[in-house]
Amino acid sequence: MACWNIQNVRFAGVSACVPKHIVRTEEFPFFDHEGAETFNNTVGIRERRLGPDSLCASDMCQAAAEKLLAELGWERESIDMLVFESVTADYHPTPPTSCLLQDRLGLSENCFCLDLPMGCCGCMYAINVAGNMLSSGNIKRALLLVGDTALRMGSMQDKSRVPLFGDCGTAVALEYDPAAEPILIDFHTQGSEHAALMTPHGGFRHPITPESFIQEDFGNGIIRAPKDTLIDGMAVFTFAISKPAKAVARLMEEMGIDKDQDIDYYLIHQANKMIVDRLVKKLKLPVEKVPYNLEQFGNTGGASIPGLMVTRLRDQLQQDRPNRLLCSSFGLGLSWGTMVLNIKNVVVPELIEI
Amino acid sequence: MNNLEKYNNIFVEVFGVDAAQLGDNFSKETVSQWDSVHQLNIISMIEESFDLMLDPEDIMACTSYHAGKEILSKNGIEI
Repeated sequence: MACWNIQNVRFAGVSACVPKHIVRTEEFPFFDHEGAETFNNTVGIRERRLGPDSLCASDMCQAAAEKLLAELGWERESIDMLVFESVTADYHPTPPTSCLLQDRLGLSENCFCLDLPMGCCGCMYAINVAGNMLSSGNIKRALLLVGDTALRMGSMQDKSRVPLFGDCGTAVALEYDPAAEPILIDFHTQGSEHAALMTPHGGFRHPITPESFIQEDFGNGIIRAPKDTLIDGMAVFTFAISKPAKAVARLMEEMGIDKDQDIDYYLIHQANKMIVDRLVKKLKLPVEKVPYNLEQFGNTGGASIPGLMVTRLRDQLQQDRPNRLLCSSFGLGLSWGTMVLNIKNVVVPELIEI
Repeated sequence: MNNLEKYNNIFVEVFGVDAAQLGDNFSKETVSQWDSVHQLNIISMIEESFDLMLDPEDIMACTSYHAGKEILSKNGIEI
């Protein structure tokens, strides 16, 4: 079973960057007033930040990293590992964006760089990989850049997808520290259901051809071509309200975690309000311990969890008192994971807007 | 309230029908209101009423009154 108890890794800092430009639901051409209100009240995403095509996820991550490194006081040369987690890399398929960021951030040539395209569970994947590499003490500091510009992956005429996503780039700093509380991570994968969230053309299974651009009307306001990322709404929703909750419940039971006493905050991937509400209800979580930011930023993919930390828990995480966080992520693959962190004195710069 | 009453109440509440209308013919194919939102509401209420966490396969398969009973039986709840 894919479950880790990562020792000796301190969660030192987290920062986030979003575009300044705000798009409200009513501004999308496929919603009338009533449709926009229904969407706002059910899906819960009233606004999202969307950058121009010239702004990549790596740009937002870089801005977040620059601010975080400055406030941490970390020398560039001290960063041993850089992870770039995103499904919206600068170039596809090469070169890896983590290598570009090594250069742009002025990191040492001795820095180990790695791209991880893992979608909405991305931050957890990044912490898992980097955390395990830090745990032995072979390396001392890792910078995890997690971000996406997911809207641009799909058709702008796909009503099932367009209003859901917002742009965001984040940076997480991890450090080797034998005194740190362990990080618990539990992961699951169901590749048989991969078609629920995928981009049919553009890889080497189905390379881009003229056929890749032929649009099809699937009804219900969904018009897309094979090159466009798709979302099977019912399949994704069904998955999201079932598998993650079971995984959280199982982990809490196995670790002897009391959901009311032992966890300060539950950070649930901000996919949409109906999903998060269902998970809260199903797990009977104390609602005052479940922060939301999807109403303001939408689904920001892998950046969702660190984005919640920066926008909703900044004051709490900076204090010299432990915050025990239980995080639940779920998304493409299909994959889902649960993570428990016990952190304090975290450096959390104010949200950056560019 | 016994399990059958609990189960019937779910459909009464979701579809606004009388319990007398419920039977093996009550399904996605025969009930015009039955859409994905109603189906998910049925599932949510089944989970809450019977303290269950259903798998995606069961959620997708719950397309009739009869199928719901089978899903409950599979999860150890007899109607």
